[in-house]
This record gives sequence, C-alpha cells and structure tokens, in this order.
Amino acid sequence: MSVSSSRKITLILGAELEKLVTLPLIWLTLLGTFILNLVLAVAFTSAGLQGAAGTQSILKIGLASMVYLQAGFIILGILATCSEYTGGQIRTTLTTIPWRGFQLSTKYLALAIVTIPMAFIIAASGVLSAFIMMRDTALVIEIDAVIKPLAGATGYLTLTTLLSAAIGALLRRTTPALVILLGHYFIVSPLLRDFLSSIKNYFPDTAGYYMYMPPSSDEINVLTPMQGTGVLMVWTLIFITVAIVFYRKRDA
Amino acid sequence: MRAFNAELSKLFSLPGIWLAFLIGAFAPAVIATLDSTAQKEGIIAGVSTRLSEVGYIGLALGVQGVIILGVLAVSSEYLTESSESGGGNQITTSLTVVSSRFHFLLAKASAVTVISFQLCIVAILTTVSATNLILGEYAPAFESSRLIGAVCYWIFTALLAFGITVLTKNGIIPLAVLMINSSVVTVSYLLSKVTKLAFYLPDKAGLDMFMFTSDRFHTPFTGGLIMFAWVAVLFIVAAIVFHRRDVTS
Repeated sequence: MSVSSSRKITLILGAELEKLVTLPLIWLTLLGTFILNLVLAVAFTSAGLQGAAGTQSILKIGLASMVYLQAGFIILGILATCSEYTGGQIRTTLTTIPWRGFQLSTKYLALAIVTIPMAFIIAASGVLSAFIMMRDTALVIEIDAVIKPLAGATGYLTLTTLLSAAIGALLRRTTPALVILLGHYFIVSPLLRDFLSSIKNYFPDTAGYYMYMPPSSDEINVLTPMQGTGVLMVWTLIFITVAIVFYRKRDA
Repeated sequence: MRAFNAELSKLFSLPGIWLAFLIGAFAPAVIATLDSTAQKEGIIAGVSTRLSEVGYIGLALGVQGVIILGVLAVSSEYLTESSESGGGNQITTSLTVVSSRFHFLLAKASAVTVISFQLCIVAILTTVSATNLILGEYAPAFESSRLIGAVCYWIFTALLAFGITVLTKNGIIPLAVLMINSSVVTVSYLLSKVTKLAFYLPDKAGLDMFMFTSDRFHTPFTGGLIMFAWVAVLFIVAAIVFHRRDVTS
C-alpha cells in the first residue's frame, strides 16, 4: 500500500502520541511532579518570606523548585523511550513502522508536544503559588517580566525531557539511565561546579539554568538566556543524533 | 540459611548490581578527594570551618550505591519478562520455592544488609586512604564511633530503599526520591528551614550519626534511634502489605 509521505507523518505521529498518552506511568509521574512542585513552592516561599520582596524575588522563589522539578521530567523522558523495551513492544513498533530514524524522530516530536503544555502548567503553578502566598508583601507584578522566565523554564524542561529520552533510547534500560541522569543532575554537577568553574557553563544543566533564572545584580550572569538555550540545544541535538544513529545500526 | 544463600546468589547475578558496587565503592572516595582538594589550603592555614566534615561528606553523599542495591533487590523480582519468553515474574518462582513470605522477606533483607555492610567497609577504606593521601598529616582522625555511625547510616538507607520498593513494586519512584534526597541540597534540608519536624525525617536524623555540622539537632545516638524507628515501622508496614497482597497484582 502506498501512502503519501505527509499522510505517513501524521499517521506515525498519531501512533506515537497515542502510545505516550496511554502509558499510565506518564500521568502518574506528571501528577506526582505537580503535587511535589506545589509543596516545594510553598516551602520555599515560607522560607523566603523574610527576604526582600518584589517581582524579581517572587520569580526567583517561584522557580527555585525547578531544581527538583526537573527530576519528574527526566523520568518522563526515560519512560517514553524505555517503555518500548520492556516486553517486545519495540518489535511490534518496527514491524508496523519500518523506518527507524523516522520513527524515533517522530517519537521525540510527540514527546515534545506532550511535554510543553505540562511543563508550562507546572512551572507556572510554582510561580503562581509563590505569588498568592506573598500577595501582601509584593509589589504589583508586571506580566511581561513573568512571561519570559516562564517561557525559559518551559523550554528548559522540554529540552531536558528530550535529552533524557535520547539517553534512555541509547541505554534501553530504565534503571541505568535513571541512575546516570539523576546522578549527573543532582550529585556530580553540583559538586563539579566548584572545581571546574571555567567550563561549568557548558554543562547541560548549568547552561539551562540561565534560561529561566532572572538576572540579578549580586551575581554575574555569564550566559544570556539565548546563549544558555543554545548550549542546551546543542547537547540535546548531539544526544538525539547519536541515539538515532545507534538505533538505526543496532539489533532491536 | 538456604534462602539467604539463594538471595545472595540472586543479588550477585543481577545485571545492574555492578553499577551499584562501582558507585558504592568509589563515589565516596571521589567526592572526598574533590572536597579535600578544595579545602586543602584552608585546612593547612587552619582557617577551615569544615575540618570535621572532610571525608565524611563523601560517605554522606555516596550512599547512592546502596540505594540502587536496595531498590534493585526488590524491583528485579517484579520485573515482568517479555511476552515472548512467557511473561513470567520472578516473584512467582521465588515464592513457590520459599513459601513463607515472611522468611522470604527476611532472607532478602538480610542479604541486602550484609552486602551494604561490606560495601560500606570498602567505601570507608577507599575514602580514608584518599583523604589521607591528599591531606597528609592534616587529615582529620577518623574515630571509630563516627565510622560506625556511617555504617549504620548506609545499612539503614539500603533498608529504607528496600522497604519502599516492596510497597511500590516499581523501582523508579524510590530510586528518584531517595537519590534526590541524598543529593547536595536535599529536600529535607529545605523543609528543616520551614519546620523543626523535618529534623525527624530519616535522612536528616541519620546524618547526625556521623556528620558533626553546626546545625545538627540530635546526638548521634538519638539520630540513629530515630532512623532505626523509621526503618522498623516501614518494615512492619511492608511485611503486612506483602503478606496480604496477591503475588502478581
């Protein structure tokens, strides 16, 4: 049966989206992340209430939970690719869609479509709860000043998800992928920051940090948001390319 | 005893276990090396305020190895094999052979305890020698009472990971929660800024057994007691749930 290529893309994208949406763990992860984020935002806000108030600090407090929040999205990315390998789902997938590079790229696209709104909602809920709790002390907040860091946070979470998905596709097992990514983001990278300060800005997580953190006067921002986005995007693209190359060469 | 041997053999043949051993044995030493290098000048000049933590910080952050061990020990039992090879669960076979669920859980927990104990001894050896190598005569003395605290912390953490995984049956959630909570800035540390109750969380209380920082809240002994209470409660709950639950549900 011959199908036109644009129709093919829509069909594959639809199939990948349906596979993602029907994965029960994805929704559990997102729900858990959402609840955890609210709890953390409340904790950060009540810890930060003594500090100076203002637009800048509301954003800073609201986005402070991002450090922990990204764990949920790392899990999301790993689940999306590794779920194919538990059981023989990957063989069914490749029987029906025998174009490997095409299939994996569409999977990333579908993952991004699911992640972007979720990342925005979760990041916004953190800022919103910080805003509600600090209503009495805060000045009037300008909507423009909020939109930019929120867009940055959404972009950061989405790129992190795609990066984790690429690593998940490379390793094909949930546990090692999870250990390596969480180990990097939560243990190795914070430790290395003190010792390799010359190149720390080129790690995916520190570069991404500049995407959403509003510039402040007391610390020197080395990267602008655009540069941060660029560095993180290069990392993501490299890993996606490597994953696709391996995926095409390897026995399923 | 035979069940215990079987559990040991199952643990050693897990593919992911080598990752746990590698991280458990060397991560503390690497972290301690990095920290000592950074602190060296301050210590030699005698102005470092963190002399009492050097080396121990590696043992505090390096528990990832035993967390992986505890989680893998249980989650591997629940892993469903692919439908092409029968779609079986290892837990069904395990419980057919060792029919008493309580004995099964006990044997598995003992195997995890023994391995994490040995792993901690190895980690202490590598960490102490790394610190001594870097700092030379300035290296702090490693007292045995604090090292025993570190060993207890490692074993309790492994058992916490084990107990949580028995409840969730899936390795992802306990792995993520525990790894994040043993990272550089932990969630419990954050909560302790908000409420004093957070000092009674297992990791915060457990760290007081051997990390003598300025903001510590418990004595080593009560810290250990609180962490042990968490482990004991978790185990009672896990044993009851495991006893009453259908095997594959």
